[in-house]
Amino acid sequence: MTYEENIKKFDVVRPGEQWFLYWNTSAALWETRIQEIPQNEIVFIPIYWGLHGVSLSEWDFGSTRPECDLLRLVHLLTRYGRSFCWIIPLTPSPFLPNGGVPTFAARSLSISYDGVHLAVFDQEMNFNKMYSYFEPKVFQSFSQFLKGFGHFLSTNQIHAPVWGSEFYFYHNGRRYSFLEDHSISFDQGFSRFLKKNNPLGVELSDQLHEFSLKENFQNEVALLFEATAETALAPFWKGSQKITCLGSSPEETIQRSLAGGKSQLDYTKDLFEHYVNSEWISSVLLTPVEKKGLLTSILKEHYGTFAIEKRYNLSPFKKNMSNEFSPYGVIDIFGGRRELINNKIGLTSYLDKFFPWLYQIQERVDFTSEWIDSNQHKIKIFQGKELDRTTFAQILKLFLMGQKVLINRSEMGEGFEKKIQIFLIENNIKVQNVNFMTFTQVCELGEGRLILFEANKLIENNHKEKYWDHIFQYLHLTQPEIKMDQDVFTLWRIRATSEDELSYLDVRRLNIYNPTSYKKSVKIKTHKHFALMKMIDPNRANAKSTPEGVDIEILPQGKIALDFGHYEES
Amino acid sequence: MSLNLIYHFQSSQNQNEHFMPPNYRVIYFFSENGMLDRAFLQEMSKSVPDADHMNLSFSNLEDLKVFALRVCLDLAKKEVRLISAQDYNIGIDGATDQKSYKNIFDKYGELAINTSFKKKGLLSKLFS
Repeated sequence: MTYEENIKKFDVVRPGEQWFLYWNTSAALWETRIQEIPQNEIVFIPIYWGLHGVSLSEWDFGSTRPECDLLRLVHLLTRYGRSFCWIIPLTPSPFLPNGGVPTFAARSLSISYDGVHLAVFDQEMNFNKMYSYFEPKVFQSFSQFLKGFGHFLSTNQIHAPVWGSEFYFYHNGRRYSFLEDHSISFDQGFSRFLKKNNPLGVELSDQLHEFSLKENFQNEVALLFEATAETALAPFWKGSQKITCLGSSPEETIQRSLAGGKSQLDYTKDLFEHYVNSEWISSVLLTPVEKKGLLTSILKEHYGTFAIEKRYNLSPFKKNMSNEFSPYGVIDIFGGRRELINNKIGLTSYLDKFFPWLYQIQERVDFTSEWIDSNQHKIKIFQGKELDRTTFAQILKLFLMGQKVLINRSEMGEGFEKKIQIFLIENNIKVQNVNFMTFTQVCELGEGRLILFEANKLIENNHKEKYWDHIFQYLHLTQPEIKMDQDVFTLWRIRATSEDELSYLDVRRLNIYNPTSYKKSVKIKTHKHFALMKMIDPNRANAKSTPEGVDIEILPQGKIALDFGHYEES
Repeated sequence: MSLNLIYHFQSSQNQNEHFMPPNYRVIYFFSENGMLDRAFLQEMSKSVPDADHMNLSFSNLEDLKVFALRVCLDLAKKEVRLISAQDYNIGIDGATDQKSYKNIFDKYGELAINTSFKKKGLLSKLFS
């Protein structure tokens, strides 16, 4: 398909993740476009707040310009029975001209950590420059806009939920907020912040101290934008989401301007990295050419309606497995993101090798009964130095409930150390002390396992992966073993069995993708616990059953899915 | 056929009682095929013994040019354009689309020519 053919099929109004970019088409076409949206899809409407700005005190929601007529948009959505949510940007938005900032407030261009202006190509290769949110006039305009928007919602009795969004770009394994800015506007704001908090003056000779103060200032400003939005839109406010926009880093802007662009392989790598880090993404910036082929399938299969509704808490949390496939992982890691990225203790490299994309790094424990039940099977790894009293108590409860929990006790507070020892004695729990590479305590109670280890002692050890090998062998994870060529990507999903599948415990679907330009092979060993049930939608791929499991050959840009029945474990 | 290099100039400063000399740090170095591999660039930077090879940082603009031309030579490229982050930012300010963005490098970049470059003729292409 040529670029021209591809672009004709591409939808700039609904470019991805169920977003509806109302400013990208004439208001006269909204009705037709809304009718095209599948009935079951919830429509997300990001607000281009700069578009509605006439002046600091005047905001147009349709009184003058038809393209700003949000009331008409709402009426159309309601008439055609579509549910919708608003998205309010809490940082500069890479998919909007000026980052969304109204022209009368856009004064100072944002500067990245590298010293270059933040500018992004959108899905039509328009060049969007980001303006600093640290410019006082931006905050004044934002507050005035929110006041106007809140008034618009309540006057017209529009009760649709409102979500705030912080936008990020991804570079070298790290997420950077579009709020982050190194321009003069930031510096001026920072000096005001310092003067306010230190009326007697502050010495900034230590660079680390300065970085930390700057980080505090940025966090305060982020909170200020969020709190202002929450207050102004309180009855409709649902919370905020962090969204990483694919293709939006300064390096990607350069790459995307070049003839070769950014490869499907690189986008796939980013996407799987975000998956592991439980980060929500947006693909709205990608052009039709960038999005063609495999990337579209991955986005549809793993970032489609099911994932969206789960992310925005729009579908009820199910205690038990349903008949629909849902994401499946075996390990959750809480905290220690920076250390994990550096792979200091060898955990991530081990998991990447033996449990690829079967683990996720989580920000916090969502200690609800639904969460506990649906994640019963997962091994949970915690960083002792990041624990608070609540999480600590929750960890012990998980262990008592029969779950498998690991705590890295390096730099853990002395208080928690004592509490653990008291807990073990009080509950008469059998403890095994193991000295292998580092000191490890293994505690058993029924099905429950609590493993305490000192990760710092692994840092200097060149064979640290062996340690993890022993730990995971002991924890006995029942999972098919996959041997695959480099740059093949896999994701597992799980569902409950149907009436004619009662000989299985559950059904697991493995999606396999080859975004490279080379033929690849994958071997799956089912280890007597899994039976191949069927092959789904093979595209440039084929699979054959072997006595050990399944052998797959997958051509460039090919994909295949396999369903496995999980047998009763003997 | 050409390469582009964006660098950041940091003037000399005193930090924690230590004097930090000025430096020219490579931010992005790319060809029409994409970003050049960092490990390869670190290796190439060894052509300038005084450079900070790890951070791709050079003490003066001449050294940066020597490094850039060394990369040009190794990749058999005709020329390299060097542009400071400040000039790149001026370019971004004026750019409106992909075409004007790509023009930033021609408009503001300082051209350094690889004098050893010889365009391959049809026969040499066939036999190479």
